[in-house]
Amino acid sequence: MLMPPFVLHNPTTVEEACSIAGSLLEKGEDFDWVAGGTDLLPNYKWHLNPKPHVISLARIEGVNTLSLHEIGCMARLADLTVENGIHPLIVEAASKVASSLVRRNATLGGNLCLDTRCFWYNQGEDWRRSIDWCHKADCGTGADCRVVPNQNTLCVATYQGDIAPTLMVLDAEVHLIGPSGLRTMPLQEFYQLDGMKKNVLEKGEFLLKITISESSAARTGSYQKLRVRDTWDFPEAGVAASWFAGDVTSLKVATTALESIPRCHSDEVATVLETDWDGMNSVKALAASIRKSVKPVNNTSLPPRYRKSMVRVLTKRAVEKMLE
Amino acid sequence: MSGGYRQQPGGSGQTTRKDGKRVAGKQSFPPPGSGGSRPHMKPRDLDFIPESVGGKEEQPAGSHIHDRARTGTTVGKEIPLVDSNAKVTGQAWYGDDVRLPNEIIGKILRSPHHYARIKSIDTSRVEALPGVLAVATGEDSPHRFGVLPVTKDEHAMAVEKVRHVGDLVACVAAVDEATALEALNLFDIEWEVLEPVFDPKKGLEDADEPIHWRGKYHLSKTNVQKRVFQEFGDRSLVDKPHAESHGKWSMAGVHHGFTEPHAVVAHWGPNGRLQLYTPQQVPHYTHRALSTVLDVPMHQINVIRTFVGGGFGGKSDPFPHEMCAAILARKAGRPVRITFDREEVYWINRGRHPSHIEVKMTADEEARISGFDIDALIDGGGFASFGHVTSYYNGVLATAPYELGSFHYTGARVWTNKPASGAMRGHGAVNTRCAVEVGLDEMAETMQVDPIDLRLANLLPPHSRTISGFRITSNGMREALEKVREGSNWDEKFRQMPLGKGIGIGCGFFISGSGLPIHWDPNRFPHATVHIQVDMDGGVTVHTGAADIGQGSTTAVAQVVSEVLALPIEMIHVRSHESDTSPVDLGSYSSRVTFMNANAAIRAALEVREQLLNAAWDILGYHPDNLVLNDRRIYYKHDPAIGVSYLKALHKAQEDKGSLIASGAYRSPPMGGVHKGAAAGLAPAYSFSAYVAEVDVDVETGMIRCTDVWAAHDCGKALNPMAVKGQIIGSCHMGLGQVLSEKMVYGRTGHLQNANLLDYKIPSVHEMPHVEPIIIESCDPEGPFGAKEAGEGPLLPILPAVVNAVYDAIGIRLRDLPLTPDVVFKGIEKTLKNSGVDDPLDLPSPRLTHSSLQPTLVARAQEHKLRDKARQRTEDTSPYVNGVLFGFDPTIPLEDQVEGWRTATEPDPEQLAELGLAGRAWLKKEQREMGGEN
Repeated sequence: MLMPPFVLHNPTTVEEACSIAGSLLEKGEDFDWVAGGTDLLPNYKWHLNPKPHVISLARIEGVNTLSLHEIGCMARLADLTVENGIHPLIVEAASKVASSLVRRNATLGGNLCLDTRCFWYNQGEDWRRSIDWCHKADCGTGADCRVVPNQNTLCVATYQGDIAPTLMVLDAEVHLIGPSGLRTMPLQEFYQLDGMKKNVLEKGEFLLKITISESSAARTGSYQKLRVRDTWDFPEAGVAASWFAGDVTSLKVATTALESIPRCHSDEVATVLETDWDGMNSVKALAASIRKSVKPVNNTSLPPRYRKSMVRVLTKRAVEKMLE
Repeated sequence: MSGGYRQQPGGSGQTTRKDGKRVAGKQSFPPPGSGGSRPHMKPRDLDFIPESVGGKEEQPAGSHIHDRARTGTTVGKEIPLVDSNAKVTGQAWYGDDVRLPNEIIGKILRSPHHYARIKSIDTSRVEALPGVLAVATGEDSPHRFGVLPVTKDEHAMAVEKVRHVGDLVACVAAVDEATALEALNLFDIEWEVLEPVFDPKKGLEDADEPIHWRGKYHLSKTNVQKRVFQEFGDRSLVDKPHAESHGKWSMAGVHHGFTEPHAVVAHWGPNGRLQLYTPQQVPHYTHRALSTVLDVPMHQINVIRTFVGGGFGGKSDPFPHEMCAAILARKAGRPVRITFDREEVYWINRGRHPSHIEVKMTADEEARISGFDIDALIDGGGFASFGHVTSYYNGVLATAPYELGSFHYTGARVWTNKPASGAMRGHGAVNTRCAVEVGLDEMAETMQVDPIDLRLANLLPPHSRTISGFRITSNGMREALEKVREGSNWDEKFRQMPLGKGIGIGCGFFISGSGLPIHWDPNRFPHATVHIQVDMDGGVTVHTGAADIGQGSTTAVAQVVSEVLALPIEMIHVRSHESDTSPVDLGSYSSRVTFMNANAAIRAALEVREQLLNAAWDILGYHPDNLVLNDRRIYYKHDPAIGVSYLKALHKAQEDKGSLIASGAYRSPPMGGVHKGAAAGLAPAYSFSAYVAEVDVDVETGMIRCTDVWAAHDCGKALNPMAVKGQIIGSCHMGLGQVLSEKMVYGRTGHLQNANLLDYKIPSVHEMPHVEPIIIESCDPEGPFGAKEAGEGPLLPILPAVVNAVYDAIGIRLRDLPLTPDVVFKGIEKTLKNSGVDDPLDLPSPRLTHSSLQPTLVARAQEHKLRDKARQRTEDTSPYVNGVLFGFDPTIPLEDQVEGWRTATEPDPEQLAELGLAGRAWLKKEQREMGGEN
């Protein structure tokens, strides 16, 4: 596999990064951001939508902050797996990401902005030519989606990050920066239902950091991940739950690896909480309703029907473990 | 340690520094030396000299013809593989490490279609691209090749048709990889897309355009490449069974998953000879195929086997890319290198066949196995490869280790438009073995007996004959079963553990070297030849064609030579890389290398030894019978002070002829029946194994975790116990992959969906159970020092052991491999629905209450144990054939004493209606019988 050629930019400050992005935008030149490179570079080697320019965040000072309340985009996942002030729920999720080698390079920002995955898409060029491409990397052919042919224009590639659901149930906020300035929003609003667009980042913007408020940091929780092997594998389904210990009304549950975006299930939780909390029965009812609400498709290793069934088990286990 | 008999005059301590350390690059005595830094003879290591020749090594299985050649030097000792230093220091040169001056890069254009006719290829735009130095298409290589002479159906590049996505269409060589890749986009090809076949069941039916055409031998217009029918024994026994099991299996194809992708470098030398560097298991067949394809005599080709980064059967075919590299290099006049991406590795495949297997078995009221009925439909993909053999192996390798009342097998291999299946570790035997062993477990359950006792009471003894006519010599099956039963604490766990925890048994049986070479008449040429050369320096150069693919064949050959000549292994140098210098060897397949090459090496070494002893006789005046050959010294056996150093004896022996040169060869004895296909599965010896696996099953998710394996393997004699244990543990890993997570996934459109190592799920270190390797030594009479294979057989039992353990854990029989969590979960859901249980945590665990048959089996097993021991030690040499257990006389042909005893290789017309899935191939006629093509 040969890496396609690209120009690599190495800004050392956030401002410089934004100005490089701004000037490339002005010139109409396409580019990608790269942090740890564990997601982008393999995709480039597979010639999956490579761009002529790549701006690296690796040399920017001060974007790898690590604390209970703030984690910078360049914080390495390996550093999130040790509990030196990091929220235990994040530690739990980070230590389940890929393998220890990958975690040494991979970053929080990269994990949150992970490209969506699909076995019709994550393939070499010859392979994709043999299926006449797909609409996520159509090589100018206007190809259709291969998972759900003749559907609407949405891409159903699956978001398979582990950390997003845990940050969602911790009410984290994301801070995005670009040539047109800084904006902040709850993580739940960051993702946008489409496997190609993935999130609200505009061209030229990148995810600077996440923050967790003082009060939310007091939450405790659990993250359950479904995968065939205990290393390397992306989640086939993942469920995170958190609460303020002892207060069921504060319960939050989020899922990942089931659709194009990770999702916080506040509606399902609210419905269950409408009636009196009945211990395990309520947990089971909640698990069943979350299972119903997700719609996985057949584009990862395990069949969607199974992944959907497992959402119930994982939700039950996540909440059970938290209530312990 | 100092003192003892000095080996070489002139040794001094001056090469050590004042601080006592050795000076780099200096030996402690000047050349010609014979022992490096060990100037003194080591005393004889009696612990590694058999008791039959006066040593202390116990021989419970009896003595061996090679005992007299034992010197206690290396055999039986745990020594690191001789090439391990090269590997751990990164100096081993694999296919892609070869760099020749002026080399250019070759790339292959691959088919985007499953099945299509090439109407035209226009290469003009490719040729016009600056930097492109050679272009080739199917037209450049009209000659067909294939690993088996009977099924040559491959071309270097597609001629007329492409047969699967990824099939080779054309190739190009350019100054660099980027240019070559760019050039691939410039071919203008006109295709006529044809209707592909993916489902092997469809392959049994007539098609408009069969994937290959075999002329008058073509079976109707189907895609059947090979069909097999075999029936032996008394079929009336199966009519009224006391117990039976019937299972239909679906097993996904798996790939070898070796570390090193294929890579090849071809270079035509200034004299017009081809040098081809390739990581091959079977360089000789590549050599032959190159000669055919390139129209060049074999002596003008030098095939250089690089280090092989794992083969497992996946590097044993001559490959089209090897031909492409040679063709491009000839056209360009420069060396050409082609290295595969992982995706290309999956497209060339040759992995285990996706299989539909049906096994019916019956037992009579004495719990004797009255019949095995096996039907195997295997999916061959686009080419024949080893498939002809696989079609037989799926049946015939199930005829042992049990004594059978009758045996019935129908098999068919079909072509489909997928990457070709081929040989993979445990070739052809793995899937059926799993089905059979699980069937036995199920029969034991119906008869309410312990499955280990059921097996122990139905084993063939050593020195017997299977129902299909295979000659069994040494047989450690019983001991293997006993050892794993004891080691795993079976009697306290089986059917007694809580829900989700289970334990299971599985056995294995495999050939130790294919009895018939693929390419020539065994009566005219030996299977293996080894040359030994000893020059004045005392070092021993061994030339062998045996391909070390990581299994340690080089070490095995070095060890046996070192053992016979009583020389430190550092003095043995094995040269095995080049066809120019190595004698022809058939290659590393069918677990033949240690058995055949080590046997040949022993013969050559014995010849050298004789010359040395004769020289010592000249010097010392004692007859060789009274001389002892020990560490670099030959001495009078009653007085070690009267002796001569190895070098001195060597120089004496060399006086008149210079180097000592010897050649040794191995040929397997004539054996086997005369029926069609009788040669398939014949081997000079067979390995046996028994594993117990323990698993945890998460009943809510269907996740299986194998926690412990007790793995007993009968390898005859462990020449190097460390290597044997490594093979056992490695086999466990590979087999666990097939049973738990590995599969080649063909999606809705027939494309291989997971041609990469992230989605093709080889178990990681986290999934590895604790494996307790247990070596059984049955001392094979014909094996080198008693050794048999240990590279493939150990894979077989892990699959059924795990499947049976899963049943013990959750009480559900699963017959779809791999047992990925979704498969297990589906089984659990179905059981919940059928049994009206809501929560999987309330599932009942299977339990066992012994029936009255149990004591009968235990008594019979006890009786057989004594029988087997006497036969193993050749205290009882009476003939034994399969059928004695059923009361037949082994000295009279069974046909003469049983009415209805069959040895059939074609079905009777009245059987046709009842044949299984693969058996349906027998409903079709060959073209020549249909009045078709002649």
